[in-house]
Amino acid sequence: MKILISNLQRLLFGDLLGGVGFLLLLTFCILGFFGPYLPIGDALTIGAGPRLGAPSMEFLLGTDDLGRDYLPRVVEGIGVTFLLSSIAVVITAVIGTLLGMLAGYLHGFTDSVIARFADILLAFPALLFGLLTSAVIGPGQLSAIVVISAATIPLFIRVIRSVTLSVAEREFVTAAVVAGASTWRVMIVHILPNILGAAIIQLTYALSVSMIIESALSFLGLGVQPPDASLGSLLRLGSVYLTISPWLVLAPGIVLALAIMAVNILGDSIRDALEPLRGRPLT
Amino acid sequence: MEANKVLEFRDVAVTYHKGPFWNRSSTNAVKKVNLSVAEGETLGLVGESGSGKSTLGRVALGLIKPSGGSFEFAGLPFDPVLRKEGAMSVVLQHPEWALNPRLKNWVSISEPLKIQTSLTRQQRYEATLKMLSQVGLDPDFADRYPGELSGGQRQRVAIARALITKPRFILFDEAVSALDVSVQSQILNLIKELQEQLRFASIFISHDLAATRYVSDRIAVMLEGDIVEVAEAQKFYEKPDHPYSQQLYATIARNA
Amino acid sequence: MSELVQIKDLTIAYQMGQAAIYAVDQVTLDIKQGETIGIVGESGSGKSTLGMAIGKLLSQNAVVEAGQITIGSDQVQDCSGEELRRIRRDRLGFVFQNPMTALDPTMRIDKQVSLAFARKSTPDERLSLLRRSGLENAEQVAKSYPHELSGGMAQRVVIALSIARNPELIIADEPTASLDASIQDKILDLMIQLRDEAGASMVLLSHDLGMVAKRCDRVAVMYGGRIVEIGNSKSVFEDPKHPYTRALIKAAAGNEKPGERLEPIGGVPPVLRTSSTYCAFADRCGFAKDICFSKRPETHSEEGVMVTCHFEAKQLAGDEIVDEVRA
Repeated sequence: MKILISNLQRLLFGDLLGGVGFLLLLTFCILGFFGPYLPIGDALTIGAGPRLGAPSMEFLLGTDDLGRDYLPRVVEGIGVTFLLSSIAVVITAVIGTLLGMLAGYLHGFTDSVIARFADILLAFPALLFGLLTSAVIGPGQLSAIVVISAATIPLFIRVIRSVTLSVAEREFVTAAVVAGASTWRVMIVHILPNILGAAIIQLTYALSVSMIIESALSFLGLGVQPPDASLGSLLRLGSVYLTISPWLVLAPGIVLALAIMAVNILGDSIRDALEPLRGRPLT
Repeated sequence: MEANKVLEFRDVAVTYHKGPFWNRSSTNAVKKVNLSVAEGETLGLVGESGSGKSTLGRVALGLIKPSGGSFEFAGLPFDPVLRKEGAMSVVLQHPEWALNPRLKNWVSISEPLKIQTSLTRQQRYEATLKMLSQVGLDPDFADRYPGELSGGQRQRVAIARALITKPRFILFDEAVSALDVSVQSQILNLIKELQEQLRFASIFISHDLAATRYVSDRIAVMLEGDIVEVAEAQKFYEKPDHPYSQQLYATIARNA
Repeated sequence: MSELVQIKDLTIAYQMGQAAIYAVDQVTLDIKQGETIGIVGESGSGKSTLGMAIGKLLSQNAVVEAGQITIGSDQVQDCSGEELRRIRRDRLGFVFQNPMTALDPTMRIDKQVSLAFARKSTPDERLSLLRRSGLENAEQVAKSYPHELSGGMAQRVVIALSIARNPELIIADEPTASLDASIQDKILDLMIQLRDEAGASMVLLSHDLGMVAKRCDRVAVMYGGRIVEIGNSKSVFEDPKHPYTRALIKAAAGNEKPGERLEPIGGVPPVLRTSSTYCAFADRCGFAKDICFSKRPETHSEEGVMVTCHFEAKQLAGDEIVDEVRA
């Protein structure tokens, strides 16, 4: 654990790009959580300003079609997109990691079942699945979480399974088994800490995938419903007025792109930091 | 010398199957092996990759069940409860992976105690320190991580872990192969000394006849799943009987 | 015989984050045309770094801090791009430890052999090259992928590739370390034979002093980035002068008599943070005196062998190794 933390520290203060990614994400996190409490305007008041007003000193990002201050709407959008995606990804990570470890360590029947399960989920295009889910449980945030989970669990299962396969072959695992360790002990004490790195990297990747899925679902009207706003739904509402008031699309679009880019950059940097074996001297 | 037999292989065979059940292919990793290892004795098992020596080692640890024949530990068929009694342990090849990099050395060394006994943390820590001195390491290695140690030091830690339950049998599988020459002999000497003190039975698996004959009492040579020769280690300083053993012998004696 | 390769005062360090690790510490070495020279060393000795440096094959973070390597009239360190490729292609041949990673797993052997030739080759030429490498069923091998071959066969292919263009120098880095013991001798003999036929020089890097001494004209023993002893292989192996060489032979299993105890070299090989200002072997040397810890030893000649030590072997004959195990 300590090694992990010190690696992360080195990453963030040593690697410029990683640091930028991290700061961006941190900003989004803060905006997301504390957005409603910041003195940046009220997202709900209809008619606070002119309809489709251009950005001005009073309304920094202009106003939308109902005259609402757009800046707080976008901030809310960041929060919703981010929060929703994060919750979904965390649930997925825990379940997916567990299943991946079981598949990779136990082999045999368990492995076949779990691997096939992951393959089936992987075969479904996320958006079709989204339509299905919305039809069954109705559109909204829960629907979005279900779809994101279904789309990202296979990623975890596959990657964790393959990393587990290689860790399980390592000799300290054999030594523990010979000493009488139970399967549970081996998985928790020996395998899990050694696959955390891979899991974290997958987490960042899954996060960016899930933000895209959430936005896509909301853009199609299947995800977050008004008056709640997510970046995707803002894109949807704003797309109608693209030619008249482009900032309605530009603002959430740019923010979404930045957020996804930040997550990916951070993921790359984390991966680089956790692979310190490059450039070792020959002996 | 009829010392107690700790391990007994009777007509042991191990066959691996590959592929789906309608298109099975089999490999005979071990064909028909008869061997025994007594208390306080080191049996060297020499052969090349694919000879079956590692497979036989896994049978000795109860990790693989023989497809044919029988394997007995201390006169009884293998029972997983032996593990909980700390009857056996293992030292493997790669020092980089012999220890869990996320755990401190003392935690790794005392893990068998944690699994098998109800000793307190303090008691386990003390047992670890005793073990460290027995393998020639400073007590301050206890709180370090494997990443801070050299290959030879890690193998010593692995040996400490193998000994902590005072096992009746230790398997050494290519335990010195990945070490530098100058460090190999440190470990080989250590194994010899410890066995003399503690009288555990051991099997020393290696592809390196030179290291094996130094540390073993008897040596069994394996070729493609069969044992082609079993003799006292002394024989391998002079000239072994079987042509294959002679080939292996020739690569050491080249410099004479 | 003239010098093919001249290495002068070479110092190479690897940049690992903030710190540097010195692998080669002011090494001077000449390799004559047509000679076989073995370089023996353990981890951290610098032998692989030295060998790879001749072909400028080091990783990105390796820095040549000083010195130069000259092959014929080319200064390797200053070459790059097409010039460097030409040197590697036409003048050098490499044989690495693991044939499975040295060969391209996605290409059949025949294709890889054809790539090794200088110009378009005929199938017969390719098959005959494989046969020269001891592969009697050359047609079968040529049609195969690397993973379908055994370790020994794959290494024979690698050797064939290395001599395809009649290089002037073959560099072999632990060529038999991943092969089974029973074919190690055959592979080494093959390399020597092909080298003899081609008249090329050969550098053989290994940790096994005995194996190297048997096959090379000269042997250099490396420790801590420096050549501590270099000379005629018979002399170095049978009558070693440097304390490290002597200790190495005593510590290696295989040379002892039955019942004789191996004497390990206590301690661990050093990791150099700077070019060393004293003897890198001092803390493990049974004969070390004060000067060994304070002054960098120079190289002197003893009975035709160059030794890097403050003392001569006969001065140390009287002393005994005190405490051997310093863990």
